[in-house]
Amino acid sequence: MIKLLKIEWLKIKNYNAFIILSSFFALGVVAINYVIYSVNKNMFSEVSAAKMIGKFSPYDFDKTWQTTSYAAGWILLLPALLIIMLMTNEFTYRTHRQNIIDGWGRKQFIEVKMMTALIAALLSTLIVIATALIFGLASCTSFSLDGFSHTGFFFLKALTYNMVALLISVLIRRTGFATGVFFIYMGFENFVSQLLDVWSIKLRKDDGLDLGSMGDYLPMNAADGLLTFPDNPLKGLARGVMPTDYTSIVMVLCAAYLVLFCWWSYNRIIKTDL
Amino acid sequence: MSILSVENLCKNYGAVQALKGVTFSVPTGSVFGILGPNGSGKTTMLGIIMDILKPTTGSYTLFDALPDENSRRKIGTFLETPNFYHYLSAVRNLKITAAIKERGEEDIPKVLEMVNLTERKDSRFSTYSLGMKQRLAIASCLLGNPDVLIFDEPTNGLDPVGIAEIRELIKQLHQQGKTIIMASHLLDEVEKVCTHVAILKKGKLVATGDVNEILANDDIVELGAADMEKLKVIIGQLNGYSNIKEQGNLVQLFYPVGTTNLENINRYCFDNGVVLNYMQLKKKSLESKFFELTN
Repeated sequence: MIKLLKIEWLKIKNYNAFIILSSFFALGVVAINYVIYSVNKNMFSEVSAAKMIGKFSPYDFDKTWQTTSYAAGWILLLPALLIIMLMTNEFTYRTHRQNIIDGWGRKQFIEVKMMTALIAALLSTLIVIATALIFGLASCTSFSLDGFSHTGFFFLKALTYNMVALLISVLIRRTGFATGVFFIYMGFENFVSQLLDVWSIKLRKDDGLDLGSMGDYLPMNAADGLLTFPDNPLKGLARGVMPTDYTSIVMVLCAAYLVLFCWWSYNRIIKTDL
Repeated sequence: MSILSVENLCKNYGAVQALKGVTFSVPTGSVFGILGPNGSGKTTMLGIIMDILKPTTGSYTLFDALPDENSRRKIGTFLETPNFYHYLSAVRNLKITAAIKERGEEDIPKVLEMVNLTERKDSRFSTYSLGMKQRLAIASCLLGNPDVLIFDEPTNGLDPVGIAEIRELIKQLHQQGKTIIMASHLLDEVEKVCTHVAILKKGKLVATGDVNEILANDDIVELGAADMEKLKVIIGQLNGYSNIKEQGNLVQLFYPVGTTNLENINRYCFDNGVVLNYMQLKKKSLESKFFELTN
């Protein structure tokens, strides 16, 4: 696999979109967190309404992991977009055929792409961990690994986005079209998820039936649902009417969806004409 | 040993049958032409052999064994279009090919020189002309000096000088003992460079074998004389030919390949009082043979 990844690196390292998108992502993670950090520090604490609900510092240690993961989750589109471009490029240039003609197996071709998606998710997570650490230390609180599991949720979300991007690319093959479908699917799923969430609240209120936030049971929202903004006093007030977060169920679902995406992409490359 | 052996290969695209039970084998050391008009299934067949298309039924072997990625690494293949990363230079593209083929990079300058691309080796592939792209694809086939090469329409898009160069290269490679499989719709290309041929028509194999047997099964002797009437009379009594035809001002005699003896014909006519003023031995034209086979 190392040998395959080295070849993949030869394809990627001089690709401008790779350099641009990954720098945007790294800078974006820092920037988006800096905005929240400075808004909270300089403005929120000055507002009298905020004082009423008590002190809330999202970048103190133990909360920094969760806040950074949640905030960075918003720009996971960038690595997913990169995965779409890397995969659809192969179809556009017909190099997916040439790689196999030259001596890769179909299996190797799709496996190395999945591995690339996995590595991209891991690197994104490392960037998040570094950023969380910097903002945590800047908050002058003592270091703690409590809540570090949220970076794991971030990794799951990053991996889900990348694998959905890979699957859509494998199925659709054309860059523009695949990117469009990716966005439309995200929007559509979010919409359905909102409806399901409203229904979940209604079920709990009217029938006393707590099925959890059902919006989180959808493929891309499963990973989304694991990442939340840290509980602040306001959120605590709303908890009374919200359905329970069944974290372990959502995690299992998330993993199941990942297996499904990988299996589907793999089968498509192995079994069809290229 | 046969390099490639195809057994009853069929491929359907929905209701369209692109290949209908094709069977043939490619002997070691041959230049094997796959000849057929556009849409006859040449590229489909090579695509199946390279595992980028799945056959509907049938099987094939490479190097007398079930094919896998290792057997493909031993073959330099250029299929249909030059496929490279547009944003990378020739050298960077060839590094990727060399790595996939598990060959070293030391061959890269040599193969670029062979196809006259050394000067542009650091330019991005997207800036290349069609002919240059084509030549880069051939260079990539030559990486690692493989014993078997597969070219699909290798001279497509090249100018006459480029075409002559590629044909010369194929001849040189053949002289080095390499086996070359070449798909083409160009009759004279196959006639000029191939030792063996398989002819495809609408997905069916029409004929396969030695080029000389398949493409030229008759020798034609054309004769002309001042007294054509007398010539026709005496030729009518001559033995050995399989057919006789009149073609304009000439008489055509058809002989099985290799059985023609011009000296005897000339002497016979002279002894019988006819002096020939025209005599030519012709191979049956490839074009007419091709039309005969595919129509």
